[in-house]
Parts: sequence; C-alpha cells; structure tokens
Amino acid sequence: MAISPEYLGLLRSSINSAPEWKEAWERTNDYLNALRIPADLERELMLLTSFERAIARKRKEPSTSATELAFDEAQKALDATLGNLISAKVPVDRRSVEERVRLYLMQPAQNSGLSPRNRLSDDVLEALREVRLEAVPRLQQAVIAPRPFALNTAGERLAALAGKFSFLGSNRILAWFLGLCFVGLLIYMSL
Amino acid sequence: MVPGTLLRWSSDLHESVESKQEEGVQEQTLGGSQNCEQCKDMSGPGRSARLVELVGSTRLGEVFRRKVRQRRWGVTLVTLGVAAIGFWLFSDILGSTGWSPIKVLELAVFSVLFTTLAFGFTQAFVGFLVLAEGHEPLKITNTLDEKTPLASTAVVMPVFNEDVGTVFGNIRTLYRSLQNRGELEMFEFYILSDSTLPGRLVEEEVAWADLCRQTNGFGRIHYRRRKVPVNRKSGNIADFCRRWGHRHRYMVVFDADSVMTGDSVASLVRLMEVNPRAGIIQTMPKLVGSETLFGRIQQFASRLYSPLFAAGLNYWQQGAGNYWGHNAIIRMSPFLASCSLPVLPGREPLGGRILSHDFVEAALMRDAGWEVWFAYDLEGSYEGLPPNLTEYIKRDRRWAQGNLQHVWFLLADRVQPISRLHLIQGILAYSSAPILVLFIFLGGIQAAIDHFRGHASSIPLASAIVLALLTLLLLFGPKVLSLLHLFSQPDLLRRFGGAKRALAGVFMETLFSILTAPLLVWFHTRFVLKNISGQKVVWNTQTRGAEAGPGWVQTLLEYWPVPVAGVFFGILAWWISPLYLLWITPLLLGLWLAIPIAQFSGRSTVLRNLFLTPEEIDPPRELSKSEPLQLRAGDQFVHAILDPFYNAIHVALQRRRARTPELSEHTAGLADKLFREGPAALTAEEKRALLNDGPTLAKLHMLVWRTPAEKMNPFWVEALRAYRNETPVSV
Repeated sequence: MAISPEYLGLLRSSINSAPEWKEAWERTNDYLNALRIPADLERELMLLTSFERAIARKRKEPSTSATELAFDEAQKALDATLGNLISAKVPVDRRSVEERVRLYLMQPAQNSGLSPRNRLSDDVLEALREVRLEAVPRLQQAVIAPRPFALNTAGERLAALAGKFSFLGSNRILAWFLGLCFVGLLIYMSL
Repeated sequence: MVPGTLLRWSSDLHESVESKQEEGVQEQTLGGSQNCEQCKDMSGPGRSARLVELVGSTRLGEVFRRKVRQRRWGVTLVTLGVAAIGFWLFSDILGSTGWSPIKVLELAVFSVLFTTLAFGFTQAFVGFLVLAEGHEPLKITNTLDEKTPLASTAVVMPVFNEDVGTVFGNIRTLYRSLQNRGELEMFEFYILSDSTLPGRLVEEEVAWADLCRQTNGFGRIHYRRRKVPVNRKSGNIADFCRRWGHRHRYMVVFDADSVMTGDSVASLVRLMEVNPRAGIIQTMPKLVGSETLFGRIQQFASRLYSPLFAAGLNYWQQGAGNYWGHNAIIRMSPFLASCSLPVLPGREPLGGRILSHDFVEAALMRDAGWEVWFAYDLEGSYEGLPPNLTEYIKRDRRWAQGNLQHVWFLLADRVQPISRLHLIQGILAYSSAPILVLFIFLGGIQAAIDHFRGHASSIPLASAIVLALLTLLLLFGPKVLSLLHLFSQPDLLRRFGGAKRALAGVFMETLFSILTAPLLVWFHTRFVLKNISGQKVVWNTQTRGAEAGPGWVQTLLEYWPVPVAGVFFGILAWWISPLYLLWITPLLLGLWLAIPIAQFSGRSTVLRNLFLTPEEIDPPRELSKSEPLQLRAGDQFVHAILDPFYNAIHVALQRRRARTPELSEHTAGLADKLFREGPAALTAEEKRALLNDGPTLAKLHMLVWRTPAEKMNPFWVEALRAYRNETPVSV
C-alpha cells in the first residue's frame, strides 16, 4: 500500500491535536515498546494504518473509545504480521499469547517481526510454528513410598514414659511448679 | 562395606595388604606377590584399573574394615581420654567440699558438654595430622578417574520464595561451566518451585524462560511449580522423584544459594560411577559471596577452620558419612527404594512430618546397605549464608526444630550406630545450649551454697587451673591448629591476605564468637525449650533489605529481653559471689551487648580489610561471571498482567484443562475485582487463584491495555505510565 508522506504527516498531526486520539496513540506506542518492537519506519507505518482504520471505525461506533479501537486495530495488524509465526491450528483466543511467546523467543537476535528485512527462513518459521513452551519434560514416574516408622523396644518404653508426662507440655503452670519443686528439693538435699 | 568400592583405594592400603602377606597371612585373591609388584608400578587411572581387577577380595575388604575400625577406636579413645581427664579434674574440684545431689547432677551435665567439646577437638586434631601428612589414602576422591564416562544426572534445586537472580544465576553458572567442558549432554536441570508469593512465582517463570533463551537451554533446564507445597523441601524432592525418578541415574541436590562448578559436578558423577556402592557423596561447600560483617566473619572462619574438621570427619566416618541436604550427589535407585521419609509419631513440633530430612535420608541410605561418602577435598562447591545474625538465628529456629525431631530416630529400629552418632551430633548442636544453661544454673546454686557456707576458697586451685587450661585448649586449639596449617602453606596464606591480616582476622573472629555465643545460647535454649513443650517458635522481625538486616527499632523489639536478662543474671551473680560474676562475665557480655551486636552484624562497611578469603581475593571464574537476567523491577504480579511477555510466558505455561463453571466464575470475579480496585484488593491466595487461570489472565492483559484512562482504576493508569519510559530496543 502506497501512502504519501504528506498524508501520514497530516494523520499524525491530527492524532496529536485530538486528546482522545493522542492518548490512544501513546497507549498503543507504549504497548509496542513493551513488546520491544523497535521504533522504526515499519512500526510507524503499522501504527498509522491501524489508526486510519480506527478513525474510520469511530465514525460507525462513536460510543467506543479511541484507545480501544486503536488498540484493537493495532492488535489486528500485529496478528497479521506475526501470524505466520504460529500454527493455523492455534485457537483465536490464544493467538496473541502464542505470538508474544515467539516474539520473546526471537529476541534479542530478531528484534522485530514487523520488518521485511527480518524475514525468517522457512526452517525457522516451521520450527517456530511447531514449538510449544514446555517447562517440564515428559514424566517418567517412579514409586517412592514412605517406609513405616518403628521404634525399638527401648524406644517404645521411653515413648510410653514420655507420653505419661506429656501433660506437663500442655500445662505450663504445673510444669513450672513441678520444676521449681524439683530445684527446691535439690537445694534442700544439697544444704 | 563392599570390597568393590573400597579396594579402588591407593597404594597405602595396598601396602598394608602386602605387609600382611609378608607376615605370612595367606592372600588368596590377590594371586600372590607378583600381582602386588605389578600394582606397585601402576599409577593414576592405570592403578585404579588394576585395582578394579582385584575387587572381590574379601581379604582386602577385611583389611579396609579393620583399618577403619582402628581409626574409629583411636578417635573414640582420644575423645574419652580427654573427657576422662576433664571429668577427673572437675570431680576433684566439686568433691573438695563434699558431694551433694546438685554436684552429682552438675558433674553429669559437665560430662556431656566436655565430651562433646573433646570430640570436636579430637576431630580437628586428627584432621590436622591428616592434612600435615599430606596424603590420606582412605578418601573417595582417590578413586576419581577423569576418563570414566558420565551418566544421566539431574541437577535439582528446590526453591521456596527465594531470590530469583540467585537461583537462576547459580544454575546458569553450572550450566555454562559444564558447557565449557563439553559435558552438558548428560545433565538436566530442574528448578523445583514451592513458591507461594504470587509475584515471585511469575518472576521465576520469566527468569526460567530468559535463562533458557540466554543459554539455549530449552529442554534441558526445567521449571516445575507445585501448587500445594506438601511436606516442604523433602516433599518437593520426593515429588521430583515420583515424576522423573526413572529418567536419571543420579541427582545432584542444590540449595537456592548453592553454586558448583562443572568440574566438581562431573567429578561427583564419575565418583559415583566408579564406586557402585556409594549411595550419596557429600561435598564440603565453601561459604562465598557475603558482603556483611557477620557473613564475612562466618565465611572466613569456615574457610580457615573447616578443612581440619572435614579431614578429621572423613578420617573416622569413611563410608558411613552424613548428608547435609545440598551440594551432594545421590544415586536415584536406592533413594527411591529406601529413603522416603516416614511420618513420625505425635504432632509437630517434635512429631509429624520430618523437617530436617538430610540426616535421616543418610541414615536410611546406610540402613539399606549403601555407603555415604564425604568428598571433603573436592574443589568447586560453594554456598551462601545468611547475611546477618537475625537471619542466621531465624534459620537456626527451623533447624533446631528439625534436628530435635531426630530424637525419634535414636529410638528407632534399624539405624546404624554411626548414623545415630550423626543424629546425636545434630541434636546436640542445639540442645547443648540448654544443657550449658543448666550447667551454669547448677553452678550458680552450688556457688551460692558454698559462698554462704564459706567453702568458696577451699577449691583445689591446681585442678581448677588445669581444667581451665584444658577447656581453653579444646575451645581454641582447633583455631591454633588451623593457623599452623595455614602458615605451613605460604601460597594459601597469601590468598588469605597475608600473615598479619590472617592473625588479626582470627583474633577478631574469636572476639566476635565470644560475644555472639551467649546470644546463640539464649536463642537455642528458647527454641529447644519451646519445642520440647510442644510450641512452635514465632519470629516477628522481617528483614526488608537484602543485606543490612532489621533496623534499630526492630532489633530492639526482638532482642530487648536479652540484655535485660543479662543485667538480671549479673546482679544475681554479684549477689551470690563477685567471683562467680567474674567467672560468667564473658557469657554476660554477649547478652548485654546483644542489640548493637545484632545491628552491626548486618553492616557491610565494617572491617573490610579483615576476614579475607581466597575466594574473595581471587574469585573462581565461575563465581565472578555475571549475565543478568532480563527481569522488570517492581511488583511481578502486576507485570504478569501488564507486560506482554510476562503475561504470554505465564499463560503459555499454565496447563490447559477444563474448568468448572463455578471456578471460571470465581476467577472471572477476581479478575473484575482486580481491574476495578487494583492488586491491593486481592489477597495472596486470590492472586494465586487468578494466576492459575491462564485464559482469564490473557483477557485481563488485553482489557487493561485497551481501556482508556478515565474508565480505569488510577492504579492501572500509573502502572501503564511506568511502561512509557521503556526504551525500545534499537535495531
């Protein structure tokens, strides 16, 4: 599509002059920045075409905000550009996620999927379409069952004895009282 | 001990067999002296290979066992001998004014403490002799053969809300190191997350993706998050074993702050391969990377003193060693078959699920007939440490509870004697504090009785002086021996900053230990008593800064009972006897100064010229490398919604499964609340629930970006504004 520089300049200045569209422009730009898409000519062109469509839509849908329309159109443009990175089988509601994953994987070596200069080879494209972000390998399950814990005879006796005195743990006052009695007895016997 | 393992040992052992033959003992399996002559000429891997042929000799196995028995008896006799001298001297002192029940109890408590001290000293002394001799024939690293092929090994790192940069940076260090050695093929890496902080788990996912992208490690570096962290770290490892237990022959276990070089990990695998009866091989990690006063003191002390203790430990334990939970390699098959942890009788804190799993796993491995070795001289194993005293004590609180649970295993069936000894040592590491307090308490009562009866001056002075000197020897002897060992190696001494700095470092470290020991006794006593009485210990302070530790006010709130108790005990001691106060002043000093000590422990600008270690002066290549991860600063949960890559990675990693209408409705409600009211409106649990729903999160991402500012909560407007300052990547 051939667009004259004068037309683009005019479009840009009209976007800047309308606060609603200016905000939409900034928001969409911020998003592309967050995607780390370089601020080059291709990006500028993509944005302006998206805005051209958004402005046209605004006439038909006056109640929809400019930001929403511009972002949707920009997203469509991104889908069109990055759509070849993902398989056609990816469901519509998942496409944006998968495109972003691939854009992430290509960085920083491949800074932008927008530029024709950055056209990927068929092998790479094929690989990108096939790829699925998997954090874990295939399961190779094993059994690890806890073995029962068994006390020896002395242990059982000691545990039984400790069980008899367990009330001291739950009654602090009694524990302190008995402890002090024991200390007192020790002192008395040592005098 | 299976002969196959032990008879790969080197010539010393061989010589002992030969000497036996010379004595006329018939040696059937060696095939006579001719074979031994051949063995004598062998060196390096050739000798190992020849010795492998000799494996199967039960006779040699017996020789080895006898040698180990002799060593154990030697250590036992020296320990008991030293303890007996102390016992005799102290009973002489106590008995000089007649016996009483308090004195009998005091002597019993003294015996436990003094024997522990004597054992530590003996171990260090033996270690000193081993290192001075320069050659230890009975150590597992003697069997290392660089030509041994590697086997499939998992490097596992269980994490729980840890610093992401440290976790993934440490994995990357090992990855790169193995890559440089050309030995990456046999290794896979697993970050096993139990993290619960919503932001942290998002950050971990992105860090994983970034690390894989940096290293081309997809398919080799794995990240698994458990949604329900059952049974903490041991449960995390057990979950890994259940999922991928049959995928690898070995696993190398890391802590979040563990760093190992490719060289050391590959060596561990090779050691496992050539020692088929080894179930676990533990390395001796060096403490590194600390910037604070406390951390650097610990780093320095550990680097200087631990080689002696480590060599001494290996000297007597041999294949009956211990496992410390990280920087170790484990053979998967026996671990799966024998090391799953039982549930203890009773409830927490002393019963229920086992908190400190490592000692128990080593005991279970030993019980199943496998060996546990300590590769104490294997280089390239490192770990970090808590940055300040408060964090250190917090860690001790967990460890104290975990180690006290081990009491059950002392009373359990089928636990090997040496494993019981390891467990006792672990228990005493914390319970010796209340025992020491009891000893001082009994001493105080007795001093008061003696004082009021006028017996104080009648103690035998000679015995008291000898006992005091002996105690000082046991306490400080290992430090002196370590210094002697250091001064015998000029190159190492230079790497500690030179003689003057090393000496000044030891002096200041000793002073610091004297001041902090009472504090540790205070807290350990508190932890142990609380646990015994069935209560869990709660720590209120939360360290905000990574290094500095809590501020003055927080320190004051947490530590104020310590100096108050110190003053009270001081007055009490003075009342009993000024001499008694003088005797316990070194203990009280630490209590009085608790708050400034805790505060200064986290400072990083204090005494920077001291406490230098070789790793600090000349960091190993692996430790000095830095490849920062590309992560955004700020609230990571917010980034999961706003950042296109964070959001995409997180959503892509969520398992796609059918959600019930109720669940979908619940998360949709949460998303709506988040959008309308901002992240502060959601609890951590709600945030986690939302993070588990990928499709909703993807929709939320789009919703925030496409909504104009006037229709959105101001939080999101501000958060989006932060993205405006992002510099686009230049082409």
